[in-house]
Amino acid sequence: MLGCLLLAGCGEPAPRAGPVTLVFKHARILGPSDPLPAVLREFETWHPGVRVRSEALPWSTDEQHQFYVVNLEGGNPGFDVMMLDVIWVAEFARAGWLLDLTPHLAPDELAPHFPAAATAARFDGRVWALPWIMNVGLLYYRADLLAKHGLEPPETYDELVAQARRIRAAERDPRLDGFLWQGKQYEGLVVNVLEGLWANGTRLLGDDGTIFPEPERAREVLAFLRGLIDHGISPPWVTAADEELTRRAFGNGHAIFLRNWPYAMDLFELADSPVRGKVGMASLPRHARGAERAGATGGAHLGVYRYTKQSEAAVALVRFLAGEAAQKALATGVALNPTRTALYHDAALVRTRPNLPRIYSLAAAARPRPVTPYYLVLSTTLQPELSAVLVGIKTPGEAVADARRRLDHFLRGIR
Amino acid sequence: MTPRRRADRRTGFLLLAPALAVLVALTVYPVASVLWFSLQHRMPVFGIARFAGVAHYAFLAEDPRFSNAAWITFAFTTVSVGLELGLGLLVALALRAQRTGRRLGLSLLLLAWALPSVVTARLFEWLYHPAAGLANFLLGGHPLNWLGDPVLALPGVILADVWRTMPFVALICYARLTTIAPELYEAAQVDGAGQLAMFRRITLPLLSQVLLIGLLFRSLDALRAFDLMFVLTGGGPAGTTETLSVYAYRNLFQTLQLGFGSAVAVVAAALVMLVAWAYLRILRREGLTA
Repeated sequence: MLGCLLLAGCGEPAPRAGPVTLVFKHARILGPSDPLPAVLREFETWHPGVRVRSEALPWSTDEQHQFYVVNLEGGNPGFDVMMLDVIWVAEFARAGWLLDLTPHLAPDELAPHFPAAATAARFDGRVWALPWIMNVGLLYYRADLLAKHGLEPPETYDELVAQARRIRAAERDPRLDGFLWQGKQYEGLVVNVLEGLWANGTRLLGDDGTIFPEPERAREVLAFLRGLIDHGISPPWVTAADEELTRRAFGNGHAIFLRNWPYAMDLFELADSPVRGKVGMASLPRHARGAERAGATGGAHLGVYRYTKQSEAAVALVRFLAGEAAQKALATGVALNPTRTALYHDAALVRTRPNLPRIYSLAAAARPRPVTPYYLVLSTTLQPELSAVLVGIKTPGEAVADARRRLDHFLRGIR
Repeated sequence: MTPRRRADRRTGFLLLAPALAVLVALTVYPVASVLWFSLQHRMPVFGIARFAGVAHYAFLAEDPRFSNAAWITFAFTTVSVGLELGLGLLVALALRAQRTGRRLGLSLLLLAWALPSVVTARLFEWLYHPAAGLANFLLGGHPLNWLGDPVLALPGVILADVWRTMPFVALICYARLTTIAPELYEAAQVDGAGQLAMFRRITLPLLSQVLLIGLLFRSLDALRAFDLMFVLTGGGPAGTTETLSVYAYRNLFQTLQLGFGSAVAVVAAALVMLVAWAYLRILRREGLTA
């Protein structure tokens, strides 16, 4: 007996006693009352012997992506569960960093989530992540101004332009802009253009991988966006605008229409907000062609590191966090929207978040950005081209052609 | 060569070996691998490593985004370093002429210099705010689209850079000015020299080495400029503030194309080395280096 102890290594190493610790990497949760610690403690009580350490990621999504890539590529990342931007799931799955969740899930596990969120979780016929936080692009409008002029929220962009013209002519307020959106050279611009493409009955990536499969329709969308600035419907500075810049301008009462994410509504409804009680939410309009009205999906998914030593516990944590109770706690504590459709009609939740039913129909129609491992290549290549159209340096035709040529060089070599 | 001398030589090489190994590991190896990567279609995260020959270089030769980035880097460096040196010199002279408030001036300069460039960028983001920004407030009824206009965006970024780094030039010039013996000026005054003549004959020649060092430091810094434009404009609009560093970052770290990104880095490094070589020649002529 003593000899065995002295030899220390005799026989197989005993299974490690003591609690299993999972490390959960996620973006910082903003807001006065972060519900995440309580949610994680709840998980621990259900899974005795498992402890969760939550660690915040760097601030910007660019840095978060870089953090993951550097650490996962190194092969010993020091975390087990990760919060992922929806556009990274396919990339990380293709890179072999995510645990294939398919065998661990019930066959209909994704059914309770919004279809767009579920699509972004799948790649190559497998499930690589579970949807956690839902985001959708939508149209905000000044309900008070529309009502004053006897108008309904616009269904098409032509109507939006006509309404903006009419209201501005009648209001005679030089500080009142028509339509604000995100035109800075960054991911947000790509999202705005994607939504425009869908609204015109086309898309960015064809089934065979072609970029701008219907270039004519793509050119129309870009020409329309440029025209908004040319004709004074949108102020020139939208070419440098991100979500917050446009949200503040609209929130100060200086615009009639705004394209943004659902988070903005909670800020418009704050007690000291100049537009409190005057803002309505609608689906983004379509172009006249009779296409669908859809906002892009944003938000976050949860994945498991492929070579985690605690895969069972990690999968359990992901399923717990993506579950109804956890999503409900998150939606109550901070203005993050659930990916589970049932919660949008949960009486208790709706009492604290009265806008949820309104967001539901918008999120149900949401569409994911192209699900491809090369999404960032796609987006980064497009950004300066799209921006060039907005500031009038390139025609839509030139930009579409140049973007296709560049992507051709990159994708031919690496696909 | 006697056996004895041959043995000495071998010992010499052996003694040098560790240093050589470190040098090879730290410079030759990375440079060689970047060159090797630049000849491939390479995305390590997807396990892609396919020989591409000079395809990336051929693409770069005709890549308007690359030539644009090179041009932007060059324009940014020339204009902002020129302004920094000119303004820095003026501020240093003004500080010397000042009797009171010199200490306050110095601390204010240090403050601007001490701020991290991301903070500076955020600060200028607010100054350039289309509606609430100070810049447009000062312009009265004629607001400008500072960061969203392809003509104004680069000047906007340059202004932020000058504000941030001019203090560096001002401080080193001021330090040199305080070491100039007052007797020099007194003697010149006795000889009947005016203010301008004193500046040209005494101050400027004595400052020239410091200015040259400022020029060297700031140019090599400006050629690598990244964070101001990355935060303020993201390289936009239409790539009008996209420097070589931003372009290389997008390819290497954002889209993870190690092959193409390496080709960009190789050409960019070659351009910077060309500039550094030119400076080294000037410095040698001025007797500042061996």
